[in-house]
Amino acid sequence: MEKSGSVDSLGSKRSSSRQPSVDSLSSTSTSRSDRSAQTKPHSAMSSDSVSTSAELSPELRVSGLQAKVLRDSNKEELQLLPNEKVQDLAQDVTYFCPFIGALRGIVTVTNYRLFFKCTDRDPAFALDLPLGVVSRVEKIGGASSRGDVSYGLVCKDVRNLRFAHKQMEDTLRKSIFEVLMKFAFPVSNGLQIFAFEYGQVFPENGWKVCDAVSEYKRQGIPNESWRITKVNDHYELCDTYPSTLAVPVNMPDEELKRVAAFRAKGRIPVLSWIHPESQATVTRCSQPMVGVNGKRSKEDEKYLQAIMDANAQSHKLFIFDARPSVNAAANKMKGGGYESEDAYQNAELVFLDIHNIHVMRESLRKLKDVVYPNIEDSHWLSNLESTHWLEHIKLILAGALRIADKVESGKTSVVVHCSDGWDRTCQLTSLAMLMLDGYYRTIRGFEVLLEKEWLSFGHRFQLRIGHGDKNHTDADRSPVFIQFVDCVWQLTRQFPAAFEFNENFLVTILDHLYSCLFGTFLCNSEQQRLKEEIPKRTVSLWSYINSQLEEFTNPFYVNYSNHVLFPAVSLRHLELWVGYYIRWNPRMRPQEPVHQRYKELLAKRAELQKRVDELQREVTNRSASSSSERAGSPTRSITPVQTFV
Amino acid sequence: MSRLLTESSTFKLFTSVGLLQERMLSQSGVNARSRDVFGLRCLPGECVLQRAVMVRKKLTAREGRGWLSGTLFCTNFRVAFLPQDSPKPDDNADPVLLGDHDVALASIEKVVVVGPNRTKLVTPNSSLKFTPEELVLYCRDLRVMCFLFDRLTPDAQVLEITYTIAKTYQPPKPGSVLSFQNASLGSVEMKQFLSNRRRDVHMNWHESVSDWEQELERCGATGWRVSSVNDRFEMSTSLPKFIVVPQKVLDTELKKSFAHFNEGRIPRWCWRHPRGSDLLRMASFQNNIYHEKDDIRNLEMIMFGCQSSRCVVVELGDELPSPPDIQLAHSRLRALCLGDISTSVSVPDDKWLSTLESTRWLDYSRSCLKKASEVASLLCGAHLTVALQEADDRDMSCVVSSLVQVMCDPHCRTQHGFQSLVQKEWVMAGHRFYSRINYHRDNDKEEAPVFLLFLDCVWQLLSQYPSRFQLTDEFLLALHDSIHLPLFSSFLANCQRERCKRSQNLGQSYTPVNGWRDMLQPDSSSDPSDPPLPPVWDWDLQYSKHRRDRFTQPVPQTPPLQPLLNGNLNTNPDTNPDTLKLSDTIPGSVFLLSRGTFSSPANLLPWRSSSSGVYKKSHRRAASSENVPGLERLLKAWALNEFTHGLTSTPKPQGPLDPCEPLLPLLMGPCMGLWRECYLRGALHAQAFSHPIAANHPHPVERLAQEVQQLKDKLAQVSTSTDSHLPTKMAEPRRTDANLNQNSNNGTFLFPASRPQGRAMPRAAPPPTSTNHQTSRGPPPSSAPPFRPTHKNGSGSGKHTFLFGHSSGTEARHDQHYYPAANNAKLPKSNGSSIAL
Repeated sequence: MEKSGSVDSLGSKRSSSRQPSVDSLSSTSTSRSDRSAQTKPHSAMSSDSVSTSAELSPELRVSGLQAKVLRDSNKEELQLLPNEKVQDLAQDVTYFCPFIGALRGIVTVTNYRLFFKCTDRDPAFALDLPLGVVSRVEKIGGASSRGDVSYGLVCKDVRNLRFAHKQMEDTLRKSIFEVLMKFAFPVSNGLQIFAFEYGQVFPENGWKVCDAVSEYKRQGIPNESWRITKVNDHYELCDTYPSTLAVPVNMPDEELKRVAAFRAKGRIPVLSWIHPESQATVTRCSQPMVGVNGKRSKEDEKYLQAIMDANAQSHKLFIFDARPSVNAAANKMKGGGYESEDAYQNAELVFLDIHNIHVMRESLRKLKDVVYPNIEDSHWLSNLESTHWLEHIKLILAGALRIADKVESGKTSVVVHCSDGWDRTCQLTSLAMLMLDGYYRTIRGFEVLLEKEWLSFGHRFQLRIGHGDKNHTDADRSPVFIQFVDCVWQLTRQFPAAFEFNENFLVTILDHLYSCLFGTFLCNSEQQRLKEEIPKRTVSLWSYINSQLEEFTNPFYVNYSNHVLFPAVSLRHLELWVGYYIRWNPRMRPQEPVHQRYKELLAKRAELQKRVDELQREVTNRSASSSSERAGSPTRSITPVQTFV
Repeated sequence: MSRLLTESSTFKLFTSVGLLQERMLSQSGVNARSRDVFGLRCLPGECVLQRAVMVRKKLTAREGRGWLSGTLFCTNFRVAFLPQDSPKPDDNADPVLLGDHDVALASIEKVVVVGPNRTKLVTPNSSLKFTPEELVLYCRDLRVMCFLFDRLTPDAQVLEITYTIAKTYQPPKPGSVLSFQNASLGSVEMKQFLSNRRRDVHMNWHESVSDWEQELERCGATGWRVSSVNDRFEMSTSLPKFIVVPQKVLDTELKKSFAHFNEGRIPRWCWRHPRGSDLLRMASFQNNIYHEKDDIRNLEMIMFGCQSSRCVVVELGDELPSPPDIQLAHSRLRALCLGDISTSVSVPDDKWLSTLESTRWLDYSRSCLKKASEVASLLCGAHLTVALQEADDRDMSCVVSSLVQVMCDPHCRTQHGFQSLVQKEWVMAGHRFYSRINYHRDNDKEEAPVFLLFLDCVWQLLSQYPSRFQLTDEFLLALHDSIHLPLFSSFLANCQRERCKRSQNLGQSYTPVNGWRDMLQPDSSSDPSDPPLPPVWDWDLQYSKHRRDRFTQPVPQTPPLQPLLNGNLNTNPDTNPDTLKLSDTIPGSVFLLSRGTFSSPANLLPWRSSSSGVYKKSHRRAASSENVPGLERLLKAWALNEFTHGLTSTPKPQGPLDPCEPLLPLLMGPCMGLWRECYLRGALHAQAFSHPIAANHPHPVERLAQEVQQLKDKLAQVSTSTDSHLPTKMAEPRRTDANLNQNSNNGTFLFPASRPQGRAMPRAAPPPTSTNHQTSRGPPPSSAPPFRPTHKNGSGSGKHTFLFGHSSGTEARHDQHYYPAANNAKLPKSNGSSIAL
């Protein structure tokens, strides 16, 4: 990746001059670097690289934003992953860096990445790009006057790269970029995605992070109103749903099948989250198959009534339809639609005005134009506005906020759906759950949330991202998941101490959404993943993350598990996530490695606290022996100091 | 006032002015304050005009959101809100003008009430046909105070207090300022109290010769002297009495130079960069003056300061906004951010970004920061004199010169250092605060919040370098708000001359400690009703301790700025490879920096105009343009902002923190932030939901740093106790702590020995803040380490703070780079034996 090649190394250098370096990185720093060497699976085979990392003080390199994707010490040299094989190598390639200018160097293509190493520059410049990130490779123009052939790489992570090399004398020989095309789109070329070959073993097993039954158990399910059903054990009821579902007690499996017939793709309303006190629930489903004739289903009506009855606190049910009402109505032409309030007594239908995947895709494309490579300073804000990206973020957050508010303040159960219930519904339920339940704001909890609400409920990652597929114009691609992570980031900005994970965690998730290094985001549904034996044949992203948690931990996390977060969703309080969308611009680097300072301060605090305690104990012991009538009670001061927000 | 009192039928708290006087007379102690029967502590002479019970105040995001119930008061000075269960005020404490929930009448701009299904702007003549449910006060400082009347609030009270506020708040008209000043500060007791206040000795007021000498010493600026040639404002009416000029220029020579500059604002020294460059500022040349040969020599001597070689004149005209631009931008920003519900022209959310852009406020901040970054890079990279030139030298040169110092001088990023800076570059330098703020609303043409633009720029720097500032954005906010109160001598004049005139006319004056001694001749003819005005820096008067504690945060220790003596740079050429070496520079080169490029125009200085006759009078040779590329490289290094630099040059080992390294801000579009905590404080639409976790404040690093400091304090306390083995000492931590500071052996030099008592210990268990929001903060920040203990304090060895109990290693390394070897005496005291951690 480019950033790890150039910017990051710079960052460390700069930070060493800027960073106050609180305690001169004494003993803690060495021990920490040792530890990082152990936990990082890919670190340094050569002693060379170890020394480099020591010089640059590995700590300082963790400048918050940088996802140091599986590479740490020597960024200037290509270090192959297990089972990664060099496929081709070309000398004398020019990389047109939009920020530095043309660079000449060597390009290596493996079955996992493209690696460009600049040869005529000191310090070395390297670009390290997992091929999964490449969305499209295009030859730009014909041969130029100098005999150069130019290739453009459009990437999924908001950047474009341009390379050029001399026209091959031997015309039979394939250009390196043709080789690259083959490995960048393995699915289209009948090859295997690299995740199936990558054989790294991590101390943690991420596939064990989420177990549906224990997650329901954590929420207190089954209880007197909700039961766990195995009706979908073989994905017969609904092939895009998980095998384990939680449904109202008084809905027998037979009736569930009839409800499934009335809901698009058989995605019946099932429990996502239950309020531990009020028993108000968040349930999710797809649109009802109302059609132009206004079809009704007795079972479906009974079902929603059962959901309402399961919550004794309220005699109302809110149905949140994520779509704009016009779109929802238009769906009637295709047999879909929305619940009529005549048919569903005591239910109130609310449209949340969130646009469809095509609008979102277009919005991100516009955003990319605005931020990469150059930013027009004087019109920055109006350009940003014209992308509507933040407006979409706002609508999603506002929708989730309304859901959370209804459940928390109104003690009312809600049903959430869009058309199919696998895009906007995922965004809304998972964001609402993040606001409602502090468990999901921990690292493991967030992993569970993604596994459950996104992966098991069939957000179609394969289609939306297009892993290894060269058909870049596919209309099914859309940045739905990126939007969700952006919303999470907005929440972390507004509640800096409420999340156990840091920005790096979110960036890393998005990086590996594309990288195809891990199996986590492959396939479209639980059924497919089972069929492909993903857990057996690939490594989970959570294995990687959970094996080096300190990289991803927010030092300021305070466990506010019982608090509900109500973010301000006005555009006035949202910001563009520059640490993700504009991270390729070297001038956007954060000025201060603030996270580093957090960590150092926390370490310092722990040390001091320990020392205070020790001394206190000593004093108490001594004075107890000498005098007994001390009134000043210095013990009061041992009260651990907590970080409050 | 009596009219109002008769109107208020429900509660006659003071039935006549006579009673009020009686009450005041009956009080003996000077500091004693009256207390309203309902618990509001009034200033002496302040009287409650109306009150309403069972009122709820809407809390802002910073305050933790949600609602706070209590009693609402309107006095003749402020609208006060007293939370229900607020602690009983201490009657013996010094008066504080405004409580945490109060707003001065002079700050209120608009009063709006919300009733069932309607909103109405309330003017002094309005009559309401409905009972308001909500009272919204729009303030000049962009706050919006929102009060909700409960069903239990008597309707009569609701109406009366609304009318009272509408009638008493300051309508923007001339003459209202004085009555406001009198209401707050005009009582005999207040006057006496104010005249007994001592000014803060931790900051430099730049009022006396010794103040300026102290600043020269602090910056290590040799070759300069303080001249009192303008002692009686005869040379220039807008310049301060004392100005700093090159040592080699005699006052007699100096006197001849004033005529050559607008308003007589000749080039004066502002600051010296530790690497030896000087920063000067001046007005533009008077071109219609005939230049004598001697004049020219003198002028050049002043211009070049004590650098013999190069001078860059930085033209501040073109690229920076003009005062009218700033005024327009600010009024647009206000309109956008306040979202005034009475006018219902609120900007829809989806147009927010482009509307914000079209205010151009952020653009203007950017251009100021850009210009200051250029100047900072010049000062930092080369050994030269930079002279800021602006037509009248009273607006943008204040902004740029002070921003440069905030970027380059860590001292200016402390509260006291910043106050000294504002005193030096704004108050004393003659920024027309009085006209620019337009307190009397009688001079709209001159109105321009130049100072607020400066505060925005400082906030931008602070938000990009949060841990490099000892002052916090709470402090900036307090300063921002104070500007709208017409109570402070700092802002109620356009220059020192006006301030002196005023204090001369007063029987009593705000007792200065250093300056003006000779000028204080009480004038019996003055109007005794004018209250003495305090400077804005007397924060105790304005804010509660609770608020003041949040003005500063601990910062990691920076090595003290150890200025290089003039010329030392060349003896240590490896110090900084970036340093521009223009050894071949022809002495006397003058360059002009304008629009980002350098030139050496022949007619830059008026006496060097192209007509050769005039030129020959100069002693110096023409500036060569050969050095222009070198200077441009400096600028470019800034523009590319180190990323190319990092790519091209080999990594150089550096000390942990280079104090000379300026804090250069990133200025790309996405990097310019909006100071939400200030401008969007009142944005009610953002507060739809109440929630327990206060969103964004204070910065987590601040909080943690404070905790670390508290722990160190605690540790210090405990370790002393262990050393002493005396149980009696344990019972009195305060005393233990006091001893601690003298005891150098225990090595806990968190603070220099000069730390004043009483604000020290114990901080372990602060009383919870009174409000009902669930947000608990960390303990309030401990007192800021005074960065630069003044020599007057005799604190001697404790030159700087050791917040992090630093090892001597880093400092030693640092010495090799930056400290002149001969200067041992000033080396920071090695503190290697500090807390063994």
